[in-house]
Amino acid sequence: MNRKPLTIVIGVLLVIIFGLLLFVFQVRQSEVAVVTTFGRPTRPITEPGLKGKLPWPIQKVYKFDRRVQNFEDRLTEGLTRDNFNLLTSTYVGWKITDPTAFLPKFVGSGEPISEAEKVLERLLGNAKSAVVGKHPLSDFVSATDNGTNFMTIEGEILQALQGQVRANNYGLDIEFLGLKKVQLPESVTQSVFERMTSERKLLADRSQFEGEAEASKIRSEAERKAAEMLAAADGQATAIRGRAEAEAAKSLAVFQQNPELANFIFRLNALEGSLKDRSTLVFDYHTPPFDLFRGVSTNLLHK
Amino acid sequence: MSNDLPATKEAPEARYAPETSMDAGSQALSEALRSSFGIIKLVVVILFLVFLGSGFFTVGPQERAIILRFGKPVGQGERALLGPGLHWSFPYPMDEVVKVSITGIQKVGSTVGWFAITEQQELAGLEPMFGPSINPAQDGYVLTADGNIVNSRATLNYRINDPVRYVFSFASASNAVQQALDNALLSTAARFKVDDILTRDITAFNEAVRRRVTEQLEKQNLGVIVEQCSVESRPPRQVKEAFNNVLRAEVNRSKVLNDAHSYEVQVLSKASADAQSRVNLAESERVRLVQDVASRAEQFQELLPKFRENPKLFAEQRLNGVLGRVFANVQDKILVPATADGKTMELRYLFNRELPKPKTEEQK
Repeated sequence: MNRKPLTIVIGVLLVIIFGLLLFVFQVRQSEVAVVTTFGRPTRPITEPGLKGKLPWPIQKVYKFDRRVQNFEDRLTEGLTRDNFNLLTSTYVGWKITDPTAFLPKFVGSGEPISEAEKVLERLLGNAKSAVVGKHPLSDFVSATDNGTNFMTIEGEILQALQGQVRANNYGLDIEFLGLKKVQLPESVTQSVFERMTSERKLLADRSQFEGEAEASKIRSEAERKAAEMLAAADGQATAIRGRAEAEAAKSLAVFQQNPELANFIFRLNALEGSLKDRSTLVFDYHTPPFDLFRGVSTNLLHK
Repeated sequence: MSNDLPATKEAPEARYAPETSMDAGSQALSEALRSSFGIIKLVVVILFLVFLGSGFFTVGPQERAIILRFGKPVGQGERALLGPGLHWSFPYPMDEVVKVSITGIQKVGSTVGWFAITEQQELAGLEPMFGPSINPAQDGYVLTADGNIVNSRATLNYRINDPVRYVFSFASASNAVQQALDNALLSTAARFKVDDILTRDITAFNEAVRRRVTEQLEKQNLGVIVEQCSVESRPPRQVKEAFNNVLRAEVNRSKVLNDAHSYEVQVLSKASADAQSRVNLAESERVRLVQDVASRAEQFQELLPKFRENPKLFAEQRLNGVLGRVFANVQDKILVPATADGKTMELRYLFNRELPKPKTEEQK
């Protein structure tokens, strides 16, 4: 009969398993735990793995999420140093670092994480109003400081919050903090819009007038250049005509041989040129060759 | 309680042992018990195999898996990550398998600087109603360096670089990434002027947001790598029209300038052509004049000997020749006869501009 030892082995195994269930517990990678002995926190566990404890009711285990929790507070109103109302909202990454300290503060009334966040919200409100009041609005928004003041503000809020959390020994740590919203009260937004509108109007007008001025500059410049070009061309033309006169004058020397004849020829040419077409001529019998009508020719016949 | 189970198992065996001294009834009973016992054993073995088999799991191509043994990751750092394929772990409660998507691109969007809008409205291209002011509890926006209000939203694509950290160190890592993006958008807008964000320097703004969010994510050690960050900004709806007017004015301005430039080209090319033609005209006049004079001089040279031969006859001849040609060409010729006493007659001539031909009236 080999069934008997097998049965005994199975029985012993089951006993061991049940024993283990009473004496050990698991802590996951994402958890921290604290063991209480008769209700008093005695042993914090920050490393994951299989851990031992005495069975209930001697010892009890509380496990908490040790991952970084995201928390965002509501918009709160604060006065800047230069008396601007500013609404700010921040996000905080926090986690439980000391379960022994955390346990008595937040376990009991509700879900520990949200209980802790209620406390954080209150502390954050104080920290924010203190820090916001130290800075003028220009530290929040500024084109010149490359955002260093903004980061300083975040750093100061973080420091103030961190200080409060540590002073009260809440067993938690602030990992990071940042501003999520920086806004103006609703009534102020309207006046901002009015200012923006008038700024835009100024810009639109400026670009219109600048455009027109620029355009008329371009036009007048073009006209000036054109006038200059024509004047230069006229100058050139006058010079050419002068040269022509000079060149022609050389030939005039020829006419010096007999100015009387030259004059006569010129006059003939002028006459012929001036009576070229569509002209009306009024003359009498003295005008040659119409003097023939008077019978001058008869002289010749009777000669 | 743990002692009960072996005890119940022990009982049938005890009955089973003194087999020989059993009567037929109890023998039948023990037979039945034995066969049902065999079935139970088979079931137990099958259940055990199923239990072990449940430890098999597959990891997809875009995943990594981590085995938690009693809550603690098996292996350290990179070695803790199991690649794609079939794997086996001890079944629960000893081992726990956590799968993480790794190569898949994760995406978060920041709407902290945007007005409240539902997805349906977004898809339909509709915008919710708005009043003359912004209720901070409802609609978001960011403040710019010059104290203006601007709507701006960003989308961030990222990859998980350190899955162990991403999964086990943050209750909601994607939330943390989104908050970092919100913060980057807010703080970057606070150091850019409204015109830079909206028109003049959009790329610099987007780049600054990307840089800032990358910095934040590194500082918070989220174990992610930024793949891509895109930002969309626009003026608040309340002052949209004013911004459009500026754009229109700018478009108009460039149009006016273009017109001026085309006028410039036109005027200058016309002037250049005119100038050239004036010079050309002068040049051709010059040529004509010079040639004219030269030809006359030539003519004169030819005529001179003839004139010298008999000046009077030559003059008469030339004059008559020219007059003949002239009279032949003249359109209207009016001969005024001399009166008996040799005086010239009076002649009145009426010019009428309206008629194409000059009209003459003769009086006697």
